[in-house]
Formats: sequence, C-alpha cells, structure tokens
Amino acid sequence: MTATNVTPPQLPPMPLPGAAPHVNDNVTPYGAGMITLERASRWYKQVIGVNDVSCRIGPGITALLGPNGAGKSTMLKMITGQLRPTTGRVHVFGMPPFANPKVYRKLGYCPEIESNYPDMTGREFVTMLAAMAGLPSATLKARVDETIALVGMSHACDRKMDGYSKGMRQRIKVAQGIVHDPEVLILDEPFNGLDPVGRREMQNVLNAMGNQGKCVVISSHILYEVEQMTRNILLMSNGRLMAQGDIYHIRSLIDSHPHHIRIATTDPRGLAKRLLDLPYVLSVRLDQMEATSVEIETRAPELFYAQFPDLILEHGLVVSSFESPDNNLEAVFKYLVNG
Amino acid sequence: MSDLTLFTTSLRDLVRPKKMLTLVLLLLLSTGVAALWRYNTAGYGPEKSVEIYNSLATLMIYSFLLVLLTITFGTSIISTETEQKTIVYLLTRPVPRWRILLTKFAAVVLVTTVTTYLAIFLLALITYGPSELGNSGLGRDLEILPIGVLAYGGISLLLAVLLNRPLIFGLLFAFGWETWVPSLPGSFGRLSVMTYLRVLAPHKTAAEIAAEAAAAANPFAAAPDVITHPMAWTVLAATIAVSVLAALVVFSTREYVPREDAA
Repeated sequence: MTATNVTPPQLPPMPLPGAAPHVNDNVTPYGAGMITLERASRWYKQVIGVNDVSCRIGPGITALLGPNGAGKSTMLKMITGQLRPTTGRVHVFGMPPFANPKVYRKLGYCPEIESNYPDMTGREFVTMLAAMAGLPSATLKARVDETIALVGMSHACDRKMDGYSKGMRQRIKVAQGIVHDPEVLILDEPFNGLDPVGRREMQNVLNAMGNQGKCVVISSHILYEVEQMTRNILLMSNGRLMAQGDIYHIRSLIDSHPHHIRIATTDPRGLAKRLLDLPYVLSVRLDQMEATSVEIETRAPELFYAQFPDLILEHGLVVSSFESPDNNLEAVFKYLVNG
Repeated sequence: MSDLTLFTTSLRDLVRPKKMLTLVLLLLLSTGVAALWRYNTAGYGPEKSVEIYNSLATLMIYSFLLVLLTITFGTSIISTETEQKTIVYLLTRPVPRWRILLTKFAAVVLVTTVTTYLAIFLLALITYGPSELGNSGLGRDLEILPIGVLAYGGISLLLAVLLNRPLIFGLLFAFGWETWVPSLPGSFGRLSVMTYLRVLAPHKTAAEIAAEAAAAANPFAAAPDVITHPMAWTVLAATIAVSVLAALVVFSTREYVPREDAA
C-alpha cells in the first residue's frame, strides 16, 4: 500500500447530509444578541440605505461584508446610534442606541473616516476620548498607555496626528475605540492603510477581544483577512441582508452552484479516472499548467469529503493537499451578490 | 472629568496660533484706532475722552468685535467638528449631547468674553488714561459685555445646530439684521439684540444726546419708543434662555453625520 500523505483541507468540511445545520449563535435571526435589528430600514430621502434588515449579533467576531454602497456603513451608523432607523428597530443591549449614553458606555466605535484632530497628539486624542468614556482619572493615564502600546503606537503617540501615516491614524483610531474596554466594538474597515504586519497585529488584538466574549463587528471589503478571523458573517447587498451566519453553512445552502474542490496529487490522471467513476462528481479538470492537480465539480461536497479518504486509500493514491476555492468568503460573496 | 477634558480641548482649539493671531489683530485694531484718535485730540477736555470711548465702544467693541467673535466662534462649534468629521467621536461617547454642546459653548463664551474684556479695557485705558479709569463707563461695560456674548452666542449656537452653513447666516444676521433693524423707525428696533444692549450700555455721543433732547422738546414729535432697563434685562435673558435651550434640544435629537460620509 502506498503511503498516503493527505493534507487536511484549508477549511473544515461542510456538515454531512442529515446532520443538524451548524449555525453559529453569533449571528442568528432569532437567537440572543447584544445587537438586535428588527426589520430596520433607513432611507436617505428617495434612496434606501438599509432595507428591512433583521438580525441579532452576539459575542465573538462578526464580519459585515458587502460591496461599496451595500449599506454596511449605514447599518453601523444605526448600531452606533448616529442614525435612527426610518422604520423598524435597532437595539444594543436592549436599548435604542441613538444618543444613548448608557449604550455608549459599553460600545466602542472605530469609524472609517480618516479625519482626526490635527493639532492633537495621538495620546491627547485617546486621553480625551477615554475621559469622555468615563474612565476614572486615577487609572486614565495607565489605561491610555496600555491601549496605545496594544495597538503599537507607543513610539509615535506624542507626535501630532497631522503627521501620522494612514496606518498610524488607523491604529490610533482603534485605540480610542477600545480604550474603555467596551462590550461591543464596531469597526468600519479597520484594516485600511495597515501594512501586513500591522494587519496581523490588529487581527490579534481583535481576536483577543472576540475570545473574551466581547461582540466585535468588523465591516471590511478585504475578505481574506476577515476570513482569517471569523466564520460568522453578515452579507449585505443593495441595502439588504443577503446572508447571515456561518460561512460554511451558507455555502452549503447554495445548491445551485456546484462546489469546486482542488486536489494536488502525484498522479492526477489516475485520480481523475477514479473520480469520474463517482456519480456525484459532475466534472473533472486537469490543471494543464502544474500537471499535479485535479479540480472537480460536485453538488454533494459533504458526500465527497466523507468518501474521499477511502477512495485514496483504496487505490493507493498520494494526495499532498486539497482545498475548496468555493469555501472562501470571496466565492460565497460572489455567488450571493452577483448571482 | 469628561466635561473638563472637553472644555480644555475646546478652549485650546479656540486659541490655536492662527485663531490667536486673529484675536490679537482684532484687539490691536480697536486699540490702534483709539490711540490714533486720542493722539489727534490731545489737549481736549475730558468730554473728548467720553466721546472717543463711547463711539469706539459702540462701533468697535459691541457692534464689531463682540458680534464678530461670538458669531464666528459660536457657529463653528458644530460645523468644525462636522467638517473635520470628528463629531462621530464625540457623539459616540457616554456623555449626554446637551452636555457636549454646553461645554463647548462655555469655552466659546469664555474666550469671547476675555477678548472683549481686554479690548474694552485697553480702549478705556487709552482714552481715559490710568488715573481716570474709575470715571469711565468701563465697569458698566464689563457687566454688560458677557450678557451680549451670551445673547449672540445663544443665537449662534441655535444656528450652529440647525444649519449646515451657519456662519453665513450668522454673519448676515450680525451685520445685516443687527445693523439695520435698530435704525428702522417705530418699534422695529425691539427685534434686535443690540437695541437692548444699548439700553443697558448706552454709550451715547453728544450728538445723540442733543438729538434726543430736541425730540423731547418738540411737542409734535412722536413719543419715543422707550425700553426700560428691566425690560431689556428680561428680553436679553429670555433670548439667551430660549436660544440655548432650543439649541440643546435640537442637538440632542438631531442626526449629525459628516456629509461626505452620509450615504
């Protein structure tokens, strides 16, 4: 028997048929949530920004995804109480957030806007907003220092923000959002302007908050970065909530689109032949460039994942890796937004 | 703590170097005019000092510096934050909106009052000289100027929370309405804040006093529209209270989202 080297897929397999669908409690229409939207709509005169959105968002990281103009920022503005819903309701901790200090005590917000107070230093900016957030003066300085260090801005926090790079402004914006240790943190495009190291550091900070049970909502268009942080998504398009919940569960529900699975092997032709014998495999394509991989299309990915190990063991095939390009956020995003 | 931090931040913003330079230039303008006038009338009696002081206090301090500073700073309370899109940070903090507005308003009132105090003090010093300061109208003006600051400040505040471009409307009000309405015949003058300030701090010139005396002596002249001190105090207090309260209510209930970021 040939030694088989099977690399686990990049992403966990989808649920088997018949199994209870896994929908994460983080984003669910009817579960408990720190943030609740009930049929919330927001109009800008004749233009609708958010259209009849209902969802509840609980602890952990949730990604709010959608193309430009999808209504993400409007939704975040309603959650952060800058805008009122035209119809429907938005609640944070059971309270309407608009101009509500009780909500803001538990809420941190990192807006997408670039602007800051140009004459202030980063430290002054964070200190002012920390004081406004109600941090006691006895612990204010220590907490500000700690937060500035956490976002990696200790070296530049005493410089005027006017001279900050985009990445620095982004970091200091996140610092003001988390300085009061909020229960709910809303971030609008927090990775804009950050270099790869900065993104990684920011991801770590946000992951830590999510792991502490805080509700972290991240609006982003950089899908692969969000994908590294969470499986829970809210996907918006044209003001509507197109999908919500666990990304893999959402993908599994999209039956109209065959799933693609790419398998790297030392014997692509042999593997292709075996795969074509499987009734649920719709097509098999050999990669002409690499000549070491095979890509299949199937409408029953769960069945495929279940039977594939037996298949390679039975025929002594060497598989170095397999992955499903369909299972990433971008693919799901395209399916749902573009149809 | 949060109020103090916001207050000091607002204060610091109002006395940034560029704004400070403008304030100093405005101060020097009224002081310079007074010095020039005083120099050209050297040797005249004390009545000349009264004339210079009253004329410049009316024209340069009350009708110009007080109104200009209060309207400019007052209307920028919200628009500056909206234009630089920093209002988002303030409005998502656990501080009631009315307190944010009131704290920033307090900073404007302080800076404007101190500036007008300095201007009127320098004017009195130059026109009367240090030894005669006690005989000038300085004490009365120090009492009334903050009332003017609060009245115009309150109106500016209301414009600031209601309009997207409050400065334009504020300047039209200050240098249009407030300049012409007091001069209109009949009771139209009662629709102007400056009318009531002038009742409390008359600064009448010799020509005005003579004209009033002539009108009083003329049996065919219409009865003058007399505004008493209590009435002036009442109207100014009501103007301040209504405008500030209305501004606080509007600011607490209205949506403020930076324009470019609104959709």
